[in-house]
Amino acid sequence: MLALKNKATNSLLKSEKKSLLRFLVLYTAMVMLMIMLLSVFYYQGQEKLMLAQERATLSKYAYIQTKRLKVLHHFFDERTTYPRDPRFRSAIYDNEFVKIFSLAKEENIYFDKEIYIAGNMIHFIETLDNYYLGARYLVIEVDDDTGWRTEIWRRIFGYGSVIFIFFMLFGFYLAKLFLKPMRDSIVLLDRFIKDTTHELNAPLSAILANIEMMDMDVMAEKNKKRLARINIAAKTVSTLYQDLTYLTLEHERRNEDELVEIKPLLEDRVEYFNAWIQSKKLECLMDMEDVTIIIDKRKLTRVIDNLISNAIKYNQRGGTIGIELREGMLMIWDTGIGIEKEKIPLMFDRYMRFDESEGGFGIGLSIVKKILDEYHILIEVESEVKKGTRMILKW
Amino acid sequence: MVKKFLLMATLIMSGMFAEDAYERHCVPCHAPLPTSLQRMFMNHLLVYGGEHNFKAALKHYLRYPSKDISVMSDLFIDNFGIKEKSTLSDEELDEAIDIYWSKFKVFNKLK
Repeated sequence: MLALKNKATNSLLKSEKKSLLRFLVLYTAMVMLMIMLLSVFYYQGQEKLMLAQERATLSKYAYIQTKRLKVLHHFFDERTTYPRDPRFRSAIYDNEFVKIFSLAKEENIYFDKEIYIAGNMIHFIETLDNYYLGARYLVIEVDDDTGWRTEIWRRIFGYGSVIFIFFMLFGFYLAKLFLKPMRDSIVLLDRFIKDTTHELNAPLSAILANIEMMDMDVMAEKNKKRLARINIAAKTVSTLYQDLTYLTLEHERRNEDELVEIKPLLEDRVEYFNAWIQSKKLECLMDMEDVTIIIDKRKLTRVIDNLISNAIKYNQRGGTIGIELREGMLMIWDTGIGIEKEKIPLMFDRYMRFDESEGGFGIGLSIVKKILDEYHILIEVESEVKKGTRMILKW
Repeated sequence: MVKKFLLMATLIMSGMFAEDAYERHCVPCHAPLPTSLQRMFMNHLLVYGGEHNFKAALKHYLRYPSKDISVMSDLFIDNFGIKEKSTLSDEELDEAIDIYWSKFKVFNKLK
């Protein structure tokens, strides 16, 4: 029982897929945003740590350079050579940020910061108490060893990937949790249908057999109409029964593919639904060529029955049903209520019904799609609201 | 006596016929002092830094000279005293200070 249940509901419905996809897109975006933010904070933290380590050295350089500037100031202008040091480059600026002299490669200086990274260099700004040579700001510049940066990126990508994978697995688990109630209700409905289907067969067969056996000639016209209505109702229930049986029990049965002549089958099914067609005063236009296909006849019958019954069910009174059969193409069209374009992709989902005014479980087209997919037959839907629908099968 | 007279006459004459305000109003009085104008400039620069600060502070000192705000050492002041208040007009004072700045500024002199 459990195995049957799983088989019947294993594949994800389109609506489920859509919900899952939306959740995953949102979740992935959130996870990526979170990882990016963490990475930024981590990067900034590591950068600060590196600068803090560099600060001590650069501060020492600044102290040395200040002493040299002091000497130069007192001997100016006998001596005019700016003091140089192979360990660093320096520059001096006055209190109006005007450059007095510079050996720095990077001329763009941020005086509001004490230490910062400028391109591939580190700048340390020392504010002087005595304005030697008129300088208030002493800039010490050293080349930035980019090794620390490579290491940080390596860590970010490494740990980031692990965190991302972990959160994605967690996301899948969450998605399954979210979808469980939806899935449970589908399983429950499947089980209910399966259980009730068994009980429908015998009374339905009895009704239909007895209707066939009734002698219509001796019946009053009024009773004939009533009987026709009973016939239609019984056949509608029969179609539903066939669908439900197919849905719940079909996987237990092997395919019996054979060469099927579609035209006589279509005529037979139209005849089967004739009483219903008549009751809605529908005109049935049939334009058919002799076409054959290798298929399980029972399954093709399910497809045709569902497409014709939908064309009748959703048609307006006095409307038209058309059946056009060509080599490699079958089209069943109607002049019914139609369906909105954006809803077309969802119409093959199980239990998906767009018009609550008509009866049914919303399983017919789901069965049609399942069978057509099995035989690699394409189905195209062209529909216009309040004008009608064309269901085109191509193989 | 003759030598002294000649020196004074030379200084006065050089001041009177000097080309600019700095040469006319600053150099003659500072020439006899042991500390050069260059050294005084560097002392002033050490305290006041940038050009605007430097000029504003110097102008204020020339208008209101005081031991408290002088950049010279106590020894220097004890020996030579504080200068007299400047009687120059604003224009002349500004011109003299501008020339002084241009002459001794550090910019473009370092190599």
